[in-house]
Amino acid sequence: MTNPALGMTNPIAEKLHWACVGERKLRVVGAGRWAKAGRPVRSEETISMADHRGIVEYVAGDLTMTVLAGTTLEDIAAATAREGQWLPLDPWGGDSGTIGATVSTATSGPFSHAMGLPRDLVLGMEFVTGDGHVVRSGGRVVKNVAGFDLTRLLVGSWGSLGVITELTVRLRARPEHRETIAVSIAPTRTGLNDLAATLRALPFAPMASELVSAQLAQRLGFDATVLLLVSLGGNERAVRAQRAAVRELGDCVMVDEGVWTALRSADGEAVASWRWSQLPSQFGDTWTTADTGARGLGAFHLHGNPARGVVRAFAFGEQQASPLVRAASAFKGTVNLEAMPADAWPLVSPEAPNALAQSIRSKFDPARILNDGIMGTDRDQ
Amino acid sequence: MHSLPDRLRAIVGPRRVLERPSELLAYGSDALPGYQKNPNLAVFPGSRDEVIAVVRELAKAKVPYVPRGAGTGLSGGALADGIVLLGLHRLRRILSVDTVNQLAVVEPGVVNASLTRAVSPHGLHYAPDPSSQAACTIGGNVAENAGGPHCLKYGVTMNHVVAISAVLPNGEVVSLGNANGENTGYDLVGAFVGSEGCFGVALDVTVRLTRIPQAVRTMLADFMSIDAAARAVSAIVARGIVPAALEMMDTATIRAVEASVYAAGYPVDAAAVLLIELDGFAEGLDDDVALVTSLVTDAGARSVRVASAEAERAKLWQGRKKAFGAMGRVAPHLVVQDAVVPRTKLPAILATIGEIGTRYRVNVCNVFHAGDGNLHPNIPYNALDHDEAGRVHKAMQEIMEACIAAGGSITGEHGVGLDKLRYMDALFTPPTLRAMCDLRDVFDPERRSNPGKTIPVHSCREWHATPAARTATADPSLRSG
Repeated sequence: MTNPALGMTNPIAEKLHWACVGERKLRVVGAGRWAKAGRPVRSEETISMADHRGIVEYVAGDLTMTVLAGTTLEDIAAATAREGQWLPLDPWGGDSGTIGATVSTATSGPFSHAMGLPRDLVLGMEFVTGDGHVVRSGGRVVKNVAGFDLTRLLVGSWGSLGVITELTVRLRARPEHRETIAVSIAPTRTGLNDLAATLRALPFAPMASELVSAQLAQRLGFDATVLLLVSLGGNERAVRAQRAAVRELGDCVMVDEGVWTALRSADGEAVASWRWSQLPSQFGDTWTTADTGARGLGAFHLHGNPARGVVRAFAFGEQQASPLVRAASAFKGTVNLEAMPADAWPLVSPEAPNALAQSIRSKFDPARILNDGIMGTDRDQ
Repeated sequence: MHSLPDRLRAIVGPRRVLERPSELLAYGSDALPGYQKNPNLAVFPGSRDEVIAVVRELAKAKVPYVPRGAGTGLSGGALADGIVLLGLHRLRRILSVDTVNQLAVVEPGVVNASLTRAVSPHGLHYAPDPSSQAACTIGGNVAENAGGPHCLKYGVTMNHVVAISAVLPNGEVVSLGNANGENTGYDLVGAFVGSEGCFGVALDVTVRLTRIPQAVRTMLADFMSIDAAARAVSAIVARGIVPAALEMMDTATIRAVEASVYAAGYPVDAAAVLLIELDGFAEGLDDDVALVTSLVTDAGARSVRVASAEAERAKLWQGRKKAFGAMGRVAPHLVVQDAVVPRTKLPAILATIGEIGTRYRVNVCNVFHAGDGNLHPNIPYNALDHDEAGRVHKAMQEIMEACIAAGGSITGEHGVGLDKLRYMDALFTPPTLRAMCDLRDVFDPERRSNPGKTIPVHSCREWHATPAARTATADPSLRSG
C-alpha cells in the first residue's frame, strides 16, 4: 500500500530532530497566507508546509477525509463538493490557506457556531514534535477516546508543540436547500444584547448568523447600514419556516450565497485583525467596545456572531494601534489578537505565564525551536 | 504525627473515611464485570475545600489515589488496587445556571440526568446521555469523555465542556478554559476531558446546555438480516441526514430485552432493529422522517414504526438503554465491549463478528451506536466455565483486532482504564504513547493519580531521553527518511 504521507513526513522529522539538536529556531508556516498572524517569532529558518499537500484518503460514505497538512482549503472544498459534502470550517481569510494552518491557529469562520470549531471537527492527526518524533493521535473514526487527547492539545497551539503533517477531519453533507437573508439591525447596545438572546432562543439553529458593520456592508456591496446575515439550511419546508421566523427580526432581503465568500475574504489586505469575546448576552457591549476600540485605526471593519458572543475587527492602512491596545487591556472579556503591525506588538503586555502550558511546551518542544514567541507568553524567557 | 487515615478523618469527618475490608468491598468494582480490585482506604470529601485538602494530604504523604464518581464506568478505570479511593459523589451541587447563555456550573458529583432535570423547566438539557445517565456523574463523564446515543448529533462530553477548575495531584488548583469568551492559549480543557482521572480532580465544571428540541420522532425499523440494517445505516449517513440517534440491536439483544422487564415491543423474529431518532425544528421534520423511511425501506426494512407520543418513544428507548441489564438474564457474567469502525465498514465488521462468534461458539449480542460506527459487541457467559471463559476471551481479542484492522479504535466512549490497556500497543506507535505519557507528566509528574491506567506502563519508560539518546534508540521513522 502506498501512503504519500509516509514518504513525506520523515524528512520533516529529520529536519526537526537536527534543528532540536542544534537549537536552530524555525518558523513554521502553511501557505504563508497568514504569515503576519500571531506575535513576532524569533527564527533562523522558515519551514513551509505548502508543498506537503494532497488528499490521502476520502471515503465519502464515512463523511471523513484524511489530507496532508499543506492541502489548501480550496482543494478540500473542490473534492468534497463533488460528493455534495463540505468541510464547514470556512475560516476568515478565505480558502487559499492550508488546513494545517487553519487547525494550528484554531481559526474559525461564520459557520462555527452551528457546525463546530476546529476542535470539534478534527478527528485525528499526525504531527512531528519539536525533537523530531512522529506522533499519530486520534484516528479516522468519528468517536474515539483511546488514550490522552493529543489532538485537542495541538489544535490552536500555533505550531508551538509540533508540526502537523496530516489531518483527518469530519465532513458534513451540504443541506438540500440553502439561502441567505440580510436583516437590517439597529446597532444599539441593548438591542444587540437582545438580538443575541433572541437568536439563541430560536427553535432552530441558523447555519450562520453574522452581524456586519455599515462600513463592511458597504464593502460587500450593500447600503451602508448594519446588517445581520443569516444562513439557513435544511429541507424545503424547514427553510421556508426558518425564513418566516427570521423575518420577525427586521427588514429582510434575500441575498446571494456568494456573500459568505466575500465576507470571509474581506480582510484581504488588512494589516491588523483581532477578536473580542464575552458571554453572548453581552454581545451589544462587546460590539460597542470593539467599535470604540477600533477608532483611531483609520478604516476598520467589524463583524460578529451574536449567538457566539464574538466580534472580529480588521483594519487597513496606516495604523495607530495604541488606542486598540488600551481598549483591549480595559476589556473585561477576552481579546484574541490575530495580526498586528510588528511595531505595535511591544505595546501589548505579555500573556500571564501559565505553568501547565510552559511545561507542555517543554515536553513537546524541549529546545523551544518551533515558532518561538508566537503564543505571547515567552518572549523574554 | 497522626496516621494518614486520621489526618483524612480530620478533614472529612470520621464517617467519611472507610478502612475495613468489608466496607471497602463495595468499591472493588465498577460497572464492568470481571474485575475486583479493592482499595485499602476510601475517603469521601463533601466540599470543594475538603477535596483540595484531601488531595494535598495525599500529596504530602506521596500516596497514590483513584478519583471515582458513581462507579458506573465500563473500563475498570475507577478501581483502586490496594491504594486510596477518592469518592466525589457527595459534591452534587449545581452551582449556577445561566439560561440565556445556556451554561451551567456544576460540582463533579452532580448526576448527569439530574442536571437535565434541573434545567428542563427552562427548555434546556445537558446533551451527552450515557446509558448510565440516571447514576453517572458529570465528573466521571469528564474523566471518560463520555458519549451516549444522542452524541451522534450533539457531540460527546468534550464538545460540551467550556471550563474546568481542577486540583492537580500536587494540590495546586488550576483553571482551564474560558467561559467568558473564546479560549486563549492551549486547549487545556480538551486535554483534560478524557484524561481518565490521571490528570487530577475536577472541582467544578462549566458545561454547555442545549435547547430541548421542538419536536422529536423516534422510528423503529426492523430487518431480516444484519447486513441490510448495516446498509441502511450507511445510506442514512451518506445522505447527510444527521439523526439525533441511530442505534442498532441484533436478534440476540432483541430477545434478551423482550424477555426482560424492559420489553419494548421489538419484533423478536427480526435479525436486527434500528432505533432512529430525528429531532429539531418541527417544520419539515416529517419530510426527513419520510426520507429516512424510504432509505431504510430501500435497504430492506421489513417495517418502519414512527412514534411521536412521549410514552411510546420512552418505551422504545427503554429497551435500548436497559439492554445491558437485560443481558444479565441470559448468563451470570457479561463481557461488555466498546470499539469503533469507520461507518462504511459496518456491514463487513458485523459479518466478521458473526463469524468469530460462531467459530468460538459464543453468543455475541450487538447493541450499539450505529450512526457513529461505535460497536458494543457483548458476550453473556458463565465465568465459572473455564472452557467457555477461554473462548469468550479469544473471541473478544479477535473482534478487537478486526476493528483495529478496519481502521477503527479500541474504545469510542468507555475509555481505556484497565480493560483496554492490552490493545494500546496495537493502536498507537511507541512515540505516540510516549507523547501521551509526556502530557500526563505535566499534570502528574509523580504518576500518583489513577496510576497504571490508560497508557501501558512500559511505553512510558524512556520518556525523558535527550534527543541525542533518542536517536540511538530505535525510532524507525527517523531512519527511513
